[in-house]
Amino acid sequence: MKETQITWTGMDLAIEGELTIPMVSLVLKQAGQLLELHAQPDLSVDLSRVEKIDTAGVVLLETLKNSAAAKNIRLHWTRIPAFVDQAMTTFSGKKDSKGTPGPPREASVLARMGNFAYDVGHHLHDLFYLIADTFYYSVQNLTKRHGQRKGEFTNQLVLIGMNAFPIVGLVSFLIGLILALQSAAQLRQFGAAIYVADLIAISMTREMGPIMTAIMLAGRSGSAITSEIATMVVTEETDALKSMALNPVQYVLVPKFYAMTVAMPLLTILSVIIGILGAFVIGLTYLEIGLEPFYNQVVSALFLKDIITGLVKSVVFAWLIVILGAYHGFRVRGGAAEVGKATTASVVSSIFAVIFADSILGLIFYLGQTIDI
Amino acid sequence: MNESRHIVEVSDLTSGYEDIRVLDNVSIHAPSNQITIILGSSGCGKTTLLKHLIRLLQPWSGSIRLFGQEITELDEPEFNTILRKIGVMFQNGALLGSMSVAENVSIPLEQHTDLNDEIIRKLVEIKLDLVELGHAIDRYPSELSGGMRKRAALARAIALDPPLLFGDEPSAGLDPVTSAGLDELILKMRDQLGMTVVLVSHEVASIKRIADHVIFLDRGKVLFCGPLKEARSAGIQKVDDFFSKG
Repeated sequence: MKETQITWTGMDLAIEGELTIPMVSLVLKQAGQLLELHAQPDLSVDLSRVEKIDTAGVVLLETLKNSAAAKNIRLHWTRIPAFVDQAMTTFSGKKDSKGTPGPPREASVLARMGNFAYDVGHHLHDLFYLIADTFYYSVQNLTKRHGQRKGEFTNQLVLIGMNAFPIVGLVSFLIGLILALQSAAQLRQFGAAIYVADLIAISMTREMGPIMTAIMLAGRSGSAITSEIATMVVTEETDALKSMALNPVQYVLVPKFYAMTVAMPLLTILSVIIGILGAFVIGLTYLEIGLEPFYNQVVSALFLKDIITGLVKSVVFAWLIVILGAYHGFRVRGGAAEVGKATTASVVSSIFAVIFADSILGLIFYLGQTIDI
Repeated sequence: MNESRHIVEVSDLTSGYEDIRVLDNVSIHAPSNQITIILGSSGCGKTTLLKHLIRLLQPWSGSIRLFGQEITELDEPEFNTILRKIGVMFQNGALLGSMSVAENVSIPLEQHTDLNDEIIRKLVEIKLDLVELGHAIDRYPSELSGGMRKRAALARAIALDPPLLFGDEPSAGLDPVTSAGLDELILKMRDQLGMTVVLVSHEVASIKRIADHVIFLDRGKVLFCGPLKEARSAGIQKVDDFFSKG
């Protein structure tokens, strides 16, 4: 392709060649240099030797005119071929730009604070409505057949509970193993190696079991809940349910809520057992503690209160994950990209909420214990 | 005009999204046992109007009456009673992706009737045969073409033989043969089941084939609401352009 050139023809400029996308940068560069040298207020540009023009060429001509104007030079197009004139008319874009609003004015600090407060209020309002709907329908569904999909609870229990077991089991085993290894090294120095069993039993039951299971399920099932609901919103499936006199919270969310409420404590119990098993492997191989003393130590260290603490936490975490997952799913507007964003937001907020709730619950149970004493 | 003949009546409906006005004082009606088409150029508010008719959106002001009842004032259980008399066919089908075609069609039957599974299955087969999807009964929505999804959505919408059927662009994106087949089916619904049909469309060929009554929207306002024959002789430039250029 021959390069486009801008040349002087007497007192005027002339453009020769194509005004197309590949030539735009070149012409802009040449024109910039030529305009720098020009001192007169008016300059004519002969377009008769333009061979071809596309939309980028039209934009180029407009850009040239604007950059010349910035240097106080008025450009005049002369001997415009018919096809160039037609392209300039068609692609000038002035018709559309007339109604285009200018850049938004930057909001004041007070306005931004107001908007932020409004957004937070709006989110909380929606979240509380969702929580209220979820609990209302989860109670109603216990007695009413209407509004439920047959077999969905079992289906969800398999998806959320059974299918998560291998990964929860593996992570719990490794956590138990690592915790035991780290604490054994310290306790051994004081001849207290046997207390590894107590330490792991209590920490797995009260903290690590519920929290690790919750984090696993937030990443695995919370994200799945968000993406499923968000996709349903985007593809109008939730609207279709509403049009069939079915409430999407009742039809879609409640079975997941039930499944999560059942699966989470069960997975937590398994996580605790497997975590303690991981610790026993260290006890047996590194500390030479047999099965019986290890078992006796675990049983003597654990109280019913510890087990209840773990189970209460697991149920609260389950509710947080399922409600936050659904909340992010239901508020999606737009397309596929929004589904991805909602899923990420759901996982991040669920994990944060789980850890925050764990601190609050930990504090409540600790204070409760102190008062007992 | 006898008002009781109108299953759908909208008066002075104004609404929009956030602060953008989409519908401006819209007053329309759809006569019973007739096919009414809401038409107009893209973005004129057709789908928004349809969403108001099934209360997926809340109006800023105005009245919407279905079967003589003001739906903007009904509580959820009362409105659900109305919804059970309505079938809705969404633009892209809106079939539930996790369920097979048969399961999708059976949702209204399972939820709103006490029929046993065997009868429900038979009814589902009949509806799917009616839309010529008998062979795809156990397929999932992702395994269907766009036209098949629309037909499955129609089967679900008519599962309960509702007296009122709403549809959002049923023929859009379909080949002429499939589109004509769908139109024939809608005509059958009107003639054999006495259904009142309200569809959003801008497929002129389809409108000419099936419409009894048309509502022409332009930038959120009603330009014309009346029988199709009158629309074409009303002397409204935009309506004439729509039919001549379509």
